[in-house]
Amino acid sequence: MKTYQFTKSQELFKRAAKVIPCGIYGHFSPAPLVPATSYPFYTARSAGARFWDVDGNEFIDYMCAYGPMILGYNHPLVDQAAAKQIQSSNCTTGAPSVMVELAEFMVDLIPAADWVFFAKNGADVTNYSTMIARDATGRKKIVMIKGGYHGASSWMQAPGHHGTIEEDAENIIRIPWNDVPAFEKAIENNPNDIAGFIATPYHVPVFADNEMPDEGYWKKIEALCRKHGIVLIVDDIRHGFRMDIGGSCEYFGFTPDLICFCKALANGYPISALMGSQALKDVTARVFYTGSYWFQAEPMAAALETLKELKRIDGPKKILATGKKLLDGLVKVAKTYGYDLKVTGAPSMPYLRITNDESLMLHQDWCAECTGRGAYFTSHHNWFVSTAHTDEDIQQTLEIADDAFQIIKQQYGDRF
Amino acid sequence: MGHELIKARLNLCAVLKNLEDLVQYDPEMAALSKQWNISIQFSILLGPKAFIEFQNGKCRVGQGKLPKPTIILFFFSPAHLNRMMDGRGFPIPLKGFTKIPFLNGDFQKLTKKLEYYLKPTDELLKDTTYCELNTRFTLNTAAHAIPEIGSLDRVGIHAVSHIQNGDILMKILPDGPAVTLRVRNGNITPVSGETERPMACLYMKNMQVANAFLNAKLDAFTAIASGDVMIKGQTPMLDSMGLVLDRIPLYLG
Ligand SMILES: Cc1ncc(COP(=O)(O)O)c(C=O)c1O
Repeated sequence: MKTYQFTKSQELFKRAAKVIPCGIYGHFSPAPLVPATSYPFYTARSAGARFWDVDGNEFIDYMCAYGPMILGYNHPLVDQAAAKQIQSSNCTTGAPSVMVELAEFMVDLIPAADWVFFAKNGADVTNYSTMIARDATGRKKIVMIKGGYHGASSWMQAPGHHGTIEEDAENIIRIPWNDVPAFEKAIENNPNDIAGFIATPYHVPVFADNEMPDEGYWKKIEALCRKHGIVLIVDDIRHGFRMDIGGSCEYFGFTPDLICFCKALANGYPISALMGSQALKDVTARVFYTGSYWFQAEPMAAALETLKELKRIDGPKKILATGKKLLDGLVKVAKTYGYDLKVTGAPSMPYLRITNDESLMLHQDWCAECTGRGAYFTSHHNWFVSTAHTDEDIQQTLEIADDAFQIIKQQYGDRF
Repeated sequence: MGHELIKARLNLCAVLKNLEDLVQYDPEMAALSKQWNISIQFSILLGPKAFIEFQNGKCRVGQGKLPKPTIILFFFSPAHLNRMMDGRGFPIPLKGFTKIPFLNGDFQKLTKKLEYYLKPTDELLKDTTYCELNTRFTLNTAAHAIPEIGSLDRVGIHAVSHIQNGDILMKILPDGPAVTLRVRNGNITPVSGETERPMACLYMKNMQVANAFLNAKLDAFTAIASGDVMIKGQTPMLDSMGLVLDRIPLYLG
């Protein structure tokens, strides 16, 4: 099987590093890709479930832009709706009318929520959710999960990271995932001082197996929040619309006070949303928060079309099934080489790890070999599946995986 | 823990540790110390104890107390030791008065040479041998500073508490030098050389890259993306280690 070269990506990166701090920063930084030089850095074009890098290499994309793409790149309906909106108006003086249409649609779609507030990025709304929780309760502290990610604002980052100060974490209590007693203890140790509990629907750490909630976990957390007047915030930014069209809380059967959406909301157009219960609507109204582009109409039109289409085709159900097909196939191929490919998380956004080598090196090499043959796999982060991934894509992916396993077997022999 | 105390521990356990390699890799210093049979105990009031021992052409720098040192150097405080290391103070000899000429003479030649290697200039680094030794010493200093900062500095303690068990290998390609940091339950032990089963690896492409990288003249993200520095394995171990390494200049900068 032909393997890829990344000469142009590297050339472009050299230019970038001169004028952009570390060339490509944030979650697109190549640093966690192992080895970084075996991955494409720059995209030239995309369509459906695929993208082509600047070297002309074609990839079946299992990262989906790290979540935003859910219906496939360049989706005709979404792009048409966005283009039509732009032709009439985009960023103007005054709120766009499509905003109301989108809000009504979302409030109908998400059973747990009665209102919606729009912003741009995920951290805009996770941050806002804590402000609302604090204002509603008159309390300071926020409980979050160790290893949980809610964005890059300083309070969200683990202590010790560059640019943060100790005081940023002063009002943050980190407890382990699936640990109800730890939450009870936090409540006991901080009487009447916990404003909010924020967590993702299930735990999605990097470099580690993802963890579903234990039986009854969310119900217990919800009950504790109700009992102690703590605002329950679910960060559905990554999971949203990949598990249930009504929000992931529907999948797990609990009712949060606030829900944060972003990534898949508009199939790649920049928009995030905070949704909430009636009880918090007036509090939200008085907590000032805004941004220059938060009233931009184009992403709202795109979001409306994305959600309509996801609802029409039952997108979450479709990608859960597609993911399962892919994962069953991959696990089977791995087994033929004597490797245990462990899958955790939902099939629509699975985390994979070959358990034979706990250092992850074998797994990293396999992911890089797959990427170099056209199946874009990361080794550190959960993957994403879209409704554009077809049976043919899966078939081709399994062939690539098989070829890559052959290389890995040659390289590692019977060491694992 | 106080700044001066951490700095003193770094000076003793990480900076002076390089004397071991200095007498091995610098021919002039090897010749100078070949016949030495002498040991120096550093004793710091309310501070760490450490020693330097020369025997059979080899040097050993360790923590704790020697039973019968030839020389005992006393310091009133960690700050006193740090002043001496910065060339602004003198120790108080408690034992080995006859050896004072040695301390002021040959031993000083040795420490001056170490200082020469640890304070590079762009001009000096053009010399391959100099660059190689500076790189080796910087790598050693970093490796031995990590356990200290990881157990004494607040940010360091927090970062180290997250590191999983396993060996971290840092190696300069193609043939070294290399150091292994053995992590066991939050304790880190530096071991010189490679490890057979690393949990995480950080490879530097060549001596020039390693020199720039270890002296913080190369941004890690850029270096990794361009392949100058290669990481693999449980790389969160390297992220935590990086946070600890970034603290070194606060004390030794
Ligand atoms: C669960 C979760 N929350 C919040 C965020 C932050 O979103 P953004 O990067 O758009 O601010 C992310 C981004 O990856 C995420 O995965």
